[in-house]
Amino acid sequence: MSILKIKDVSKIFASGQVRAVDNFSLDVADGELVCLLGPSGSGKSTLLRMVGGFERPTSGLMTIDGEDITHVPPEKRPTGMVFQSHALWTHMNVFKNLAFGLKLRKVAPDEIKRRVEAVLDLVGLNGYGTRHVAKLSGGQQQRVALARSLVLEPKILLLDEPFASLDQHLRERLREEVRDIQQRLKITTLFVTHGQDEALSMADRIVVMRDGRTEQIDRPEVIYREPQTPFVAGFIGTMNLIEGNVANGIFSKAGYSTPLPVGDGPAIMAIRPEALDLAIAGEGSQGKVHRVTDYGTHGLVDLELNDATRIKAMVPHPDLFKAGQSVTLTPKAIAAYRDGVVIHRA
Amino acid sequence: MTIADAGQPVLAAPERRRPIGLLLVAVPVLLVIWLIIWPIISAIIQTLWMRLPEGGETFSLETYRFFFSDGYSLSNLSITLWTTGVCAILLLVVCLPIALYLRFSDSKVAAYVQGLAIFPMFVPSIILSFAFIRVLGPNGTVDLLLNAMSLPKIRSPYLTPWGPVIGLVWDNIPLTVLILLSGLGNVSNQAIEAARDVGAGRFALLWHIILPRISNSILVAISFAVLGIFSAFTLPYVLGPAAPEMMGPFMQRTFRELYEPRTAITQAVITFGFCIVFGLFYVRSVAKNRTP
Repeated sequence: MSILKIKDVSKIFASGQVRAVDNFSLDVADGELVCLLGPSGSGKSTLLRMVGGFERPTSGLMTIDGEDITHVPPEKRPTGMVFQSHALWTHMNVFKNLAFGLKLRKVAPDEIKRRVEAVLDLVGLNGYGTRHVAKLSGGQQQRVALARSLVLEPKILLLDEPFASLDQHLRERLREEVRDIQQRLKITTLFVTHGQDEALSMADRIVVMRDGRTEQIDRPEVIYREPQTPFVAGFIGTMNLIEGNVANGIFSKAGYSTPLPVGDGPAIMAIRPEALDLAIAGEGSQGKVHRVTDYGTHGLVDLELNDATRIKAMVPHPDLFKAGQSVTLTPKAIAAYRDGVVIHRA
Repeated sequence: MTIADAGQPVLAAPERRRPIGLLLVAVPVLLVIWLIIWPIISAIIQTLWMRLPEGGETFSLETYRFFFSDGYSLSNLSITLWTTGVCAILLLVVCLPIALYLRFSDSKVAAYVQGLAIFPMFVPSIILSFAFIRVLGPNGTVDLLLNAMSLPKIRSPYLTPWGPVIGLVWDNIPLTVLILLSGLGNVSNQAIEAARDVGAGRFALLWHIILPRISNSILVAISFAVLGIFSAFTLPYVLGPAAPEMMGPFMQRTFRELYEPRTAITQAVITFGFCIVFGLFYVRSVAKNRTP
């Protein structure tokens, strides 16, 4: 059963100039974690705020379990939101932060205590009830914010870039914990992020957004391996996008050429760095090594084509390459785009 | 060693700056001691040490005993406390909704409302008193309008205890609104949205989230208002009743008309005693805010 349905939702801000979300539709299945991914200004946060009830859609329909919630105020929606800045109430301790929503629902004190303790246990903050929230670390504050939403057992959990203010290590640890909790509770979740790593590692499906519209909705591995548009190809992971021309089944660009079985005309060739084999060239060089970066587990070689176009190749042994060396390029997997759509994949 | 030599001037710089900082604050601190602290101490001493007719001085609480046994003095103190209390309540009732509106409204009207709320700050008390008399006084604008509509006259608040209350509330609106607004600025939109998200309606939001978060600002605003109102002079003098009168006019009359400087100073010390309680509230609130 699809628990959250968003149908043809648009949001035009009062000035009438900005169409933040444009005819957006999405079905989120029961227990699914969907990531809204896109650059700043792509409309992902506005969309999440509309689901949470903090923004009113200009048009469209939103339902949860078949019930129209399009114009229901946030305090009456079966949703729980975790904000980027935690938004904890600093005049309350951890227990009171969590108990506030339950008190408003007139839950019995014993039941409040039981539920708060259970959810604190779930987020790994057992015994922190009496702590003042301002004295907790960033990670602990984010867990309290998550617990505050979970304690109310919402039908839909909304996460608005919840790890944005945390450092890299903490972010990685928390996203695993959040994913574990989400899967354990089987709670339907909509997660906004502009971090591809977060989206790729956590989501059941990713919605890539651009200018308020959907570019692609798919499973993370499909988004990564089979991007449908040059925008998605360039936005997810590192991708070499080479603009060139196809003539008689050969794609060429500044001395570099490779077979591409599509009709003649301009095309954008997309090659992942890990799908590009390099060999030191004697003759017939297609590019020069500009810089080699050794990451320990692998290396990244920055190459310059003959017209100074820069591309990257991932190599297992970076010590074999040096700046200034001539190389030949052999792509193992490519995609080609024309007019914004994929025309070839191999 | 080179490293130690290189490090020395860096460490020495703040040390050299310290006396300059102290010197900078020394002048205002000395002025406060000279113009405020010393007159307070001097006034207290003057009320406690009585000159004997035969020469010499003796410790005496006579002036305080007189103040707290004199019915007229006590009724003046009582009307001052009443006026201050009523003004503080009315200021909160009037200013909190204005500040809430200004904080949370996106409308263009909010800018004009803010301008209007701050306007009394630019009107001198004496002009305000004149305007009050012309509008609410006997045969003022309100009376004329009621008369034109063949309606009976209202009972004018002019020269009643409500006269100073209206004037003082008007006079204190700008500062109170500004302090509350600054406090509300610390309540983030996300904290409000998080409360709405867990189910808080408007009243719960105000009571459980906004008011506790701005309690310090309320305390500061009320302390400032009370300090000003308790010792107010112009508005109670012009708009208030002749008797009982607020402590400001009472002190002035005791000093200028009754030629009893020692009694006037006693009244001032007692007024100061009440004000210092609110002053301490303010100081405590500031100290609490600055505590890391």
